[in-house]
Order: sequence, then C-alpha cells, then structure tokens
Amino acid sequence: MEVSVGTGSERAVPAVNAQDICKRFEANVALDHVDFEVYPGEIHAVVGENGAGKSTLIRILGGVRRPDRGSIFVAGRPCNFASPHDAIAAGIVTIPQELRLVPALSIAENISLGDPPLRRFGPVALVDRGRMREAARAVLSQLDFHPDPDRRVASLSFAERQIVAIAKGLARECRVFILDEPTAALEHREVERLFAVLARMQARGTAVIYISHELAEVVAIADRCTVLRDGRVVAVKRRGAFSVSDLVAAMTGGMMDNSAHAAVESGGVLLAAKADGVNNVELHAGNIIGLAGLLGSGADGILRRLFGLATPLTVEVRGKKYRFRNPASAIAAGIGMVPGERSLGLVMKLSVRDNILLANLDVLSRIGWFDRRAGDRMVGELIELLDIRPRNPKLKAHALSGGNQQKVILAKWLARNIAVLLLQEPTQGIDVAAKAQIHALIREFAGRGSAALLNSTDLAELVRLCDAVCAVRRGRIVAALGRDAGLDEAKLRSAIAG
Amino acid sequence: MIRRPKLAGQMPLVSLVVLCAVTALLTDRFLSPLNLTNILVQSSIMAVIAMGMTFVIVGGGFDLSVGSTAALSGCIASMVMLQAGIAAGSLAGIAAGALVGLGNGLVIAFLHVNPFITTLGSMVLVRGVVFLITGGAPVSGETGLPGTFIEFGSARLLGIHYLVWVPAVLLAVLSFVMHATPYGRRVYATGGGREAAYLSGVPVRRVIASTYVWCGALAGVGGVMLAARLQSGQPTAGEFYELTAIAAVVLGGAALTGGEGTLYKSVIGVFIMIVLGNALNLLNVDSYWQRVAIGVVIIAAAAAERLRSASE
Repeated sequence: MEVSVGTGSERAVPAVNAQDICKRFEANVALDHVDFEVYPGEIHAVVGENGAGKSTLIRILGGVRRPDRGSIFVAGRPCNFASPHDAIAAGIVTIPQELRLVPALSIAENISLGDPPLRRFGPVALVDRGRMREAARAVLSQLDFHPDPDRRVASLSFAERQIVAIAKGLARECRVFILDEPTAALEHREVERLFAVLARMQARGTAVIYISHELAEVVAIADRCTVLRDGRVVAVKRRGAFSVSDLVAAMTGGMMDNSAHAAVESGGVLLAAKADGVNNVELHAGNIIGLAGLLGSGADGILRRLFGLATPLTVEVRGKKYRFRNPASAIAAGIGMVPGERSLGLVMKLSVRDNILLANLDVLSRIGWFDRRAGDRMVGELIELLDIRPRNPKLKAHALSGGNQQKVILAKWLARNIAVLLLQEPTQGIDVAAKAQIHALIREFAGRGSAALLNSTDLAELVRLCDAVCAVRRGRIVAALGRDAGLDEAKLRSAIAG
Repeated sequence: MIRRPKLAGQMPLVSLVVLCAVTALLTDRFLSPLNLTNILVQSSIMAVIAMGMTFVIVGGGFDLSVGSTAALSGCIASMVMLQAGIAAGSLAGIAAGALVGLGNGLVIAFLHVNPFITTLGSMVLVRGVVFLITGGAPVSGETGLPGTFIEFGSARLLGIHYLVWVPAVLLAVLSFVMHATPYGRRVYATGGGREAAYLSGVPVRRVIASTYVWCGALAGVGGVMLAARLQSGQPTAGEFYELTAIAAVVLGGAALTGGEGTLYKSVIGVFIMIVLGNALNLLNVDSYWQRVAIGVVIIAAAAAERLRSASE
C-alpha cells in the first residue's frame, strides 16, 4: 500500500496520517488496523458500504471518537485528539452529513459561529456585524453563492444550507477538509459547483477527504481512493487505476446484480390526478413513473400535494375521487409515502417493529386493541423479505444504517397492500448494494400490481428505474419522456433545464 | 448491535430497592407495617397524577396545571356531592379535571402554543377559579361530606386501603391502553417523532390533545381521592403536586423530549420520591435539608439517565 503522490519534496509529509487505527464497539470491530493518509493538495476519497468503517474513520480523524490503538500525525506531528475542538484547532475540519447549523441564526452568524469578528471598546468586546457580513459574503462568493448574509438559515433549502456549512469550514484555517456525503442532497448543477470549490481548495494546498456513495463522482474527482470493507482497507488506488465497477467489486467483495429495467405489463388505472393543477398524470398498475426536476422545481411539491401535505388536489384512486387534507386520509385511500428525509419516514426512538406496525395499526386492530401475534409475524416476515439487518425487530430505528432504515420505511407500506407508493429521493445517501436492493423492491412492488411515483435528483436512477419520467419546472410538468421514446439521461437533463 | 444487561432498563426499580434496603438498615421503624402502609397511602394520590403526567410526557408534552386541577376537582366533587350524592360528585370532579385537560390540549395541539407556557397559565388560572367558586374556604358543608365518602379515604378492602386500590387498578388498565391498543402506540410515536408519525397517518394533533385530557382526568381522580382523605374540598390542596409528579416521571426514566416512558416506572418514581421523604423523616433530617436532598436526587437521577443514554 505504499503510494507516493508527490510532485515536490514538500509533499513528502502527509497533511494527516493515521497509522494502524483499531476501534471496536463492544463486539463489533469497526476499524481493523487501518492505515490512511492524505497529502496537501490531494483529494482522497474513502468508499465502502454502510458499516464498512468510513464514518468511524472520519470521526476518529475529526476528534469525535478516540481510537483503541494506533496513532495520528498531523503534518508529521503526533496528535491525540480528546475532542472535536482539538481536531479543529489542528486544522481538521469536518462537514458532516447532518449539517451542524443553527437554523434560527443568520447565514453570516452561522459562518462565524464560535469565532465572530470582534470590535473592542476597552474591556468590552462586541460582535462586529459589518465585518461578519463581509467575511460571509467573501467566503460564499468563493462558492458562487450570493445570498443576503442576514437571511436566516431556516429559510434556506437543504442544498443552500450545505453550501453555508462548507463556507463555515472554509472560513477557518484548515489543513484537512473532510466531507461526508456532500452531494447526497445536491442536484447536478450544485455538484459541479462543489467540485469547482474543491479544485480551488486543492490548488491552495488543502487536503480533502471525500466520503461518498456516488462512485461516479469519486472516479471524477479523487486523486486517490481508499476502499474499506468490514473495517479493513481492501484497496488503495490512484487516479486512472480505478473505475466504478472496480470500486463496486472491491466494496462488495464480488460482483453484484445490476439488473436493467424489465418491461412490465401495465394494468388498470390506480391513480389519476391533475398533479400540477394542469396536466393529468395517470398511474397504471405496474407503472413506475418518475418526476425529474432541478432543486426548487416543485417536483417534490407534487408528491406532497398528492399525499395531503399541501394544498389538496382532486385525486382519483382506484376509481374513487378524493381530496386529501392529511396523510391519514391518503393512507386510508391506499397511498403511501417514503419521505426524502429518513427521520421523517421513521420515528427514530421507536423500534423497527413499532415503526412497521405504526402504519398498520388499523389493519391489525380488532375492537380497540391490536393483534400482537399477527403483528409480530408480519414484522418477522418483512424483515426477512427485505433483508433488514440486523434481524432484530426490537432494535431502535436510529441504530440502523441508512439503507436498512429505508428498507424499514418501505416495509411499513408493503405490509399495507397500498395501491400507490410516493417516494422522494428513495436512495439518497445509501450505499450501492442497498440501492440496488431498494430498486429491486420498488420494481417488485410495481410488479405485484401496484404503482410507484418517485422524484429524484439522480437522473441515472430515474432512467434505470422508471417506465416514464415527467420533467418538472416551476411546479409544472413540461415534458413526459417514455421508455419507448428513448428515455436517457441527456434528454432528461435538457428537459428539466428547459 | 448494542447489548446491554437487562438490569439497565430497570434502574428505577433497582434504585427503589437500594433506597429501601439502605433505609431499613439505618432505622427499624421503616419496615414496620404502619410505616409501609403509610408510604402506600401517601404514594397513592401522587401515583394517579403521575400516570396522567406520563401520558403527556410520552406524547412529547408537559403539564404544570395538575396540582391546581386536583384542587379544582376536589372542591367541585365536594360541592356537587353535598347536593347530589357521592357518585355524581366524584364524576363531576373527574369531569372538571378532564375539561381542564381538554382546554390545555386544544390550545397546545391546535394553536401550537408551547405546553410549558400554556399549562403555566392554566395552573394559575385554574387556581384562581378554585378560589372564586369556594370563596377561599374549604368545602365540607354544614354536616360534612357524606360518611361513606370519608370512609373511602381511610377504609380498607382485603387489608389494603381503597386509596391504594385506585392506582393499582388504574395502572393495570392504563398500561393495557398504552401498550396494547393502537391509541397507545400512536402516543409513543407522536412523542418520539411528530412529523414522522403524521406522515404515517397518525392524527397527531388529536393524539396530543387526548394526552392532556387523560392527564386532567387523572388529576381529577387524584383530587377526588385527596378530598376523601382531607374530608373536604381544600382550595389550597395540591400545591407543588405538578413538580413532584414531573420529578417522579423523570425518575421513572421517561424522556422529557417524548416517546419514552412507562406507567409502572413512573409509579416507581413516585415511590422513590415518597420513600426518600419518609426515610429522611425517620432519620430526623431537618426539613429544610430534606428539600435540598430531594432536589439533589432529582438532578442526579436525570444526569445519570443522560450519561446512560449518551453511552449507548
């Protein structure tokens, strides 16, 4: 695993170097003698399935967890981080997947949080708001983002928040920048913008550690890629020496099924609605229909309206007309929803079992109480069927990996025999293997005579999964691309961009 | 997968047993039948109120008005009883409690007012109403409350006080409601993740409002029991009951963020509070110091719970 990436002698010293890191959580080995280093000006990607140890590794580098053994050197000096604060002081800045922003504060306040510019009046120091705004503007403009710095973070979209979170990291002196799934909620244009920023940071000599499930991105930007499997480094490869399929093979330890779309006979109409107020959308039994749009296009708003979460629409489900004012009535009519954020799909404090039962209490109940045994049987079968790991229905939902959480959300609805499943970003931030399983489940669900309507910013996913995709701009369906009309990513991209 | 010893989930029970054992070693009077009976009777009213509080806290809420509500119920029960008999009086008292709870619940669930502020307001408001309707004087009529009612406050069935039977029966019935009915599961889901519960088809606003109705009605039951024990409706009764009830629920391991908590553990929390007070009394600890000690125990228990859940 000896790799030298240097062009000059100053590169001989890694920005951060972790040697022989081991970490166990009770009986689980999370990291098993892992060596990892990143050089100044290098983008080093870390890939692996959920549970492979990526998160643990970056938490150790970020000072959140302490390794059981092994040592960390920053710019050649041994470091022993007792807290995230120590890591930041050493110049290691992490942008976590769940952004640590304070929604009630402004963009500028968030960016300078913890270290605001001060104006001193003798012993009294006040926050210099003018300089704070200026600093925020300067760092945000590096990211090609020009909001009013006084806007509250709560009013920003997720992608915009992420840019603010990155700006917050950039505003500090940082030697090593760790990005955990930075593009999971971004759409194409913003991903490009992020890559441009990373290229600039790289040119300034910052080391970047890049964690992503999007292997195509890794191939596009990483100088080097470390593949983890079961807590061990199974491959370290330099740019040009790896492709997406190499990475998948290394991650999974073998080949995996990547089945293409199989045509499904479509049956009767399950759902019909003027989904955007103008254009009719019909879902037939067996259909998987996609909604594609740029961020803010309103594609997810269409799903929300169909589920009774926003201004109600007249919806025809299995031939009956409804206007859903809340999810409960939509569910009763046979519609299920997999929300874009998994924390909205599951009550994280409840067990896997209770979450699955929650959407099915009415089905399982007789005269006031529910049939516990039938419930347990159902949960057991679904856990087997969907391959939810670990196989423990009593485990709290927050203890599961993202992919398994998404399976539990699907299980909730599969148990109900619903007609139509609405899905927002069904595989966002999920590893390749789980992604393939979830695609297969959606196909199987449609194959059983139901229908699915999903939105996704991952156009490749829509092309692979859907019978037809509607392009959405400003809340309106502007084009529908069917598989027979040669659905592909390029056509879709131009349709949504207009 | 996280494995932890079975005992960890039973911290409240373990604490109670340890507390009792230590007290029994320090003083012989603790285990005397008279003292144990005393503890049971003292715990009974608070146990009923704490069960109601558990509904609210599991549902993600908070209720400061239970003490005032208990006083209102006790006074209304006494007033109605003097005119229309024991059954009508008791029902009127409980209904008054449920009504206060309904008011709290509607404001909190449908107007989205913070539960702390809402119930702080109703705590003061309801106490004011109690003074208004009673003129500030205890309600016992010229000849006193009906004899059977007063007997209920001290008589026993199968050697156990009626006052103790009430929480025992309620605990069994309400535990069934919380764990075996769809309604109960929806309360846990709503408290554990309101948005996610809503997206799963739970009518979260109605569920939240209903938890306050339970809490108010059970505070009403507690108030009626208290009137029987005090042989009158006391307008000043039940002060600080809300704090003891909340402390007991937290000692019982419920999370103030909602979604966690069990009725029987809340009852154990009540026992911990009462036994602690009893032990300090038996050991002749100065009553000012008793307050300090109880305060320390509450904070320590909450901190221990935090540490335990952080280590998971």
